[in-house]
Amino acid sequence: MSFTRMMEGNEAAAWGARLSRAEVVPAYPITPQTEVISHIATFIAEGKMKAQYIKVEGEHTAMAAAVGASAAGARVFTASASQGIAYMEEALWMPPGRRLPIVMCMVNRAMAPIGGLRPDHNDSLMQRDNGWIQLYCENGQEVLDTIIMAYRIGEDRRVYLPVAPCYDGYFVSATATPTTVPDQGEVDEFLPPYVHEMYSLMPESYRPRHFEMNIAKGRYEVQQAHERAKAIIEEVDVEYSKRFGRGYDGLLEEYACDDVDAVLMTMGSMTGTARDVVDEMQASGKRIGLLKLRGFRPFPTEELHGLAKRFHAIGVVDRNTSYGSAGGGVVSMEVARALYPLEDRPLLLNFHVGLGGSDVTMRQIGYMADKTLEAVEKGRVEKAVDWVELVDLGEVM
Amino acid sequence: MEINRQFDEYYEKSYIQGGTACCPGCGGPLFWRMTLEALGPKTIIYGDGPCAYCAIRNIKLPNFGIHFSFVADGSTGILAALAAKGREDITVVSSGGDGAIGDISFGKVSAAAERNENMIQICVDNEAYMNTGIQKSGLTPFGAWTTTTPLGKEAPKKEIPLIIAQHKVPYVATTSVAYPRDLKDKMIKAKGMKGFKYIHTVMPCPTGWRFNPAKSVEVVRLGVQTWAWPLYEIEDGVLSLTVKPKQRPVEDYLKAQNRFRHLTEDQMRFIQDQIDTRRKRLLENDGNRIIL
Repeated sequence: MSFTRMMEGNEAAAWGARLSRAEVVPAYPITPQTEVISHIATFIAEGKMKAQYIKVEGEHTAMAAAVGASAAGARVFTASASQGIAYMEEALWMPPGRRLPIVMCMVNRAMAPIGGLRPDHNDSLMQRDNGWIQLYCENGQEVLDTIIMAYRIGEDRRVYLPVAPCYDGYFVSATATPTTVPDQGEVDEFLPPYVHEMYSLMPESYRPRHFEMNIAKGRYEVQQAHERAKAIIEEVDVEYSKRFGRGYDGLLEEYACDDVDAVLMTMGSMTGTARDVVDEMQASGKRIGLLKLRGFRPFPTEELHGLAKRFHAIGVVDRNTSYGSAGGGVVSMEVARALYPLEDRPLLLNFHVGLGGSDVTMRQIGYMADKTLEAVEKGRVEKAVDWVELVDLGEVM
Repeated sequence: MEINRQFDEYYEKSYIQGGTACCPGCGGPLFWRMTLEALGPKTIIYGDGPCAYCAIRNIKLPNFGIHFSFVADGSTGILAALAAKGREDITVVSSGGDGAIGDISFGKVSAAAERNENMIQICVDNEAYMNTGIQKSGLTPFGAWTTTTPLGKEAPKKEIPLIIAQHKVPYVATTSVAYPRDLKDKMIKAKGMKGFKYIHTVMPCPTGWRFNPAKSVEVVRLGVQTWAWPLYEIEDGVLSLTVKPKQRPVEDYLKAQNRFRHLTEDQMRFIQDQIDTRRKRLLENDGNRIIL
């Protein structure tokens, strides 16, 4: 039976794995991911979830064991964060190349040493090139729903890629919000058992993973899987929302974007605050809207092209740093590349904010919106990269 | 030609294909042929990339090759998947080289032993990083030349089998391709046991040890005969020496390999003393419980 109660994001993630009937869970604890795996351990101990829980000795082994289990035909779930993701990076390259649909929650946390335990997005964004699908979630409900969808997407024979639902530590992981847990039977109908058609490791049906001798062909195969995944992510989202009444607009969500001059683009938990700010600003006549970037890999380039014609400026909010980059944070560089081919492209501003998990306040979002609107008015960008937390907004933090 | 036909027939029946990427004289293909004859077709092999994998990728049975920072980890995942599917009829073998097990994946093997994963963990020990071109590993013996120990290694070889035995795993054994019956018996015994079984095998490497490839089996046999490479097993904590040859001077073994040719008389005497002491202790404890 479906039910709704207050639940932290990490518990919602554990429910996502349980409802998806993950069969193998190799995991290693790290703050702020720990409750995901301890909830799963409890589910298993209470007999409510039938899965092999492997208490590994480090994240590198967690991902390697995930690779082995997935190749041997089991549905695999794991979760990590920050230093843990960095430590398993070598292993993180294996599932996309081997086309293994593992699902791993990346619970965002800043990287050491100029970090702490609280979130920014560098830990997952630095994994952008290795072939994982990355979907950024705003709250616990979205995490739960995205995990279930992630298996449908990753295990689709047109895709066969690993999927990482990413969400901010603490703001999502440890904040209790009303969360609806769907009915197991309904989820079972939505998500059939995992079967890999490309290869098998069982002695009676052994088919090895075929690697192209032409390496470019092999890489292009993974690239094509990402291209196909764009449509499949939308498709699965639509089907999920029809069945469960909740959808997330696939890779990119428009919020209050009708009849506006400019938009802010956010990712993760700050989107919730940004929705309120945009509502307030529109009520006072300011023509600013909001784009929530949900899919960073694959990146919604075509969708952005369609939208870009409607706005004169985009303010990209980067909760990350890329030292010495061509300009600004990782997301803004991606957006710049996506927009470049357009003849009539909007102005682009970049804001660094919320680094190391500092709060992204309503006033900061208002400031970024104002700056973006100001660029529209002046027809040019005065400050292409703005470190918002270094600007005195008169707030007591 | 008759000899070619015999080869073809042999490889037809064997679990390993001929024509490996191994160096001439490598013990790898020999070792895997013997091992798989003992383990049979219901086997999945998960092995680390370098030297060992040159032979593994010719295995006709399900196998999964990976880099040498991955030992005993993916095989743990495979075991979990088999458990989830209720498949208890499949033997899972994890293989690693000496560099993997002695150095970079040491923690992984220790953790798999601690969890008592139901796999046979093999260490294919050619006593250095041979695939990268002969660099010292934690299992390179004292005195041996490598490209990173041009004057000979200063430290002794890690006693990995004894370290693994201290994890209180059900079975630990050392083997050599020069003693096929002993090797196969140990594999068959390991296959019949539940839990973590560790089998450490010496792998003759003409390229890295600097000897004539035709002499591979002879050289590793000398290793056993000089007691530089004692063959034993530790079953439930009890040590037994499975081969007890009449001792030959270690000089015979060292002089057969050019990696030791720079050794002085003093150094050779030192190595002989070490081996004598170790032999004495092994014989004293033959049949004794050595794991507390």
